[in-house]
Amino acid sequence: MLAPDRTFARRDTALFILCLVLSVGALFAPERWQYAIASSARSTALAPLIALQRRAEASRTSLARFELLTAQRDSATVAAQSLPVLLEENNQLRALLGLAQRLPRRVIPAEVLHQSLPTDGRTLLLGAGRQSGLEPFQAVVAPEGLLGVVLTVGPTTSVVMTWAHPDFRASAVTLDGSVAGIIGVTADASVREPMLELRGVPYRDSVPVGTEVITSGLGGVYPRGLPIGTVVGVARESEGWERIYLVRPAAAPARVSHALVLPASTVWVPSPAGDSVP
Amino acid sequence: MSAGRASRVRFSVVMLLLVGLQFYVRPRLGNPHVAPDFLMLGLMIFAIRSRPGAAAFAGFLIGFASDALTPARFGAAMLANTLVGYAAAWGRAVFFADNLLVNAGFIAVGVWLRDLLVLMASGTGGKELAVQLGVWSPLMALSTAVAGIVVLTVFRDWLDIRLEE
Repeated sequence: MLAPDRTFARRDTALFILCLVLSVGALFAPERWQYAIASSARSTALAPLIALQRRAEASRTSLARFELLTAQRDSATVAAQSLPVLLEENNQLRALLGLAQRLPRRVIPAEVLHQSLPTDGRTLLLGAGRQSGLEPFQAVVAPEGLLGVVLTVGPTTSVVMTWAHPDFRASAVTLDGSVAGIIGVTADASVREPMLELRGVPYRDSVPVGTEVITSGLGGVYPRGLPIGTVVGVARESEGWERIYLVRPAAAPARVSHALVLPASTVWVPSPAGDSVP
Repeated sequence: MSAGRASRVRFSVVMLLLVGLQFYVRPRLGNPHVAPDFLMLGLMIFAIRSRPGAAAFAGFLIGFASDALTPARFGAAMLANTLVGYAAAWGRAVFFADNLLVNAGFIAVGVWLRDLLVLMASGTGGKELAVQLGVWSPLMALSTAVAGIVVLTVFRDWLDIRLEE
């Protein structure tokens, strides 16, 4: 018969190995399973804890942001003074050019529930889900610019894949529309903070430092015109083929406390006349 | 109520308190990359007074919750917390003295090691890894260790952890 200590040691080892095997299994499970398991946990066992965090986040921001909101409201009031004139002018120009009316832009606000893992920022947990109208593949923005895209949606929470995620891609153009490419997070090990790369720029095109990069609207996920970042230099180039530019992102996923989700209806669609303006 | 059962109830109350702190107080403590990780603190305290197998299982459960809330690399936190929980319980039994500051250092090392394992399992490399492990992780480890000192001092009797006077 084994001594009690030895039996305990064997039990410890067996439990440890079991946990290790389950962890490694989870790590290499198909992505669909991973998201389904995570989503189930969030909508069942973790739901009360998420509700608690959402409440804490709401009360924190209501206290900390009061003064900031007051200042923003004042600025918005001043800006709104000239809005009727601008709208009228815009309508007249659209009528002259024969363009359709711009589609109404509806947004869904959501609180960002930050977590303690160092990978928080590649994905973000939002305190809004299906019940608020969120669906997968909706664009998510912060006041500064593009954050990412909704990845999975539960009843009251959703997960956003931000631009810092290695799988993130978006079609992008420079602000003047002259140069187009694909934006994705850089894999360059010499960069100290997560940065973006504008890939697929033809070698003959050059983009000056300081050029703003926005979403192109191609692909139907991100509406055209969302700020992505600013070009800070050439990351690398394939001689005679393409240049890859380093882009400093406009929005920092690790620091945002609120996000706006753009439902599919806000995606700009061509007008009946065939132009690309909504 | 027997003494053993009363002790378990008191310990569970402290663990529940830490869970409450993680989800209700932590969001109010500013930068989420620096604020103390109360779940990790709970795991380290559990590991201090438990057997390695139980600590590994607790780490697995906490890792599962973390992965469900941050699924950037699902399974990374489970793996990291399982390893840290097991190593903490085993290391505590072998090496560590019953000193408050040593326990605080032990908690800080656990948080830093968890971050290292999560980042490696997530494929982070280069300077980003260096900045994360050289700046943000030590800051979170420090704040968690300070929170650990407070919790261990206030709930010393409830936790049944022996500390030198």
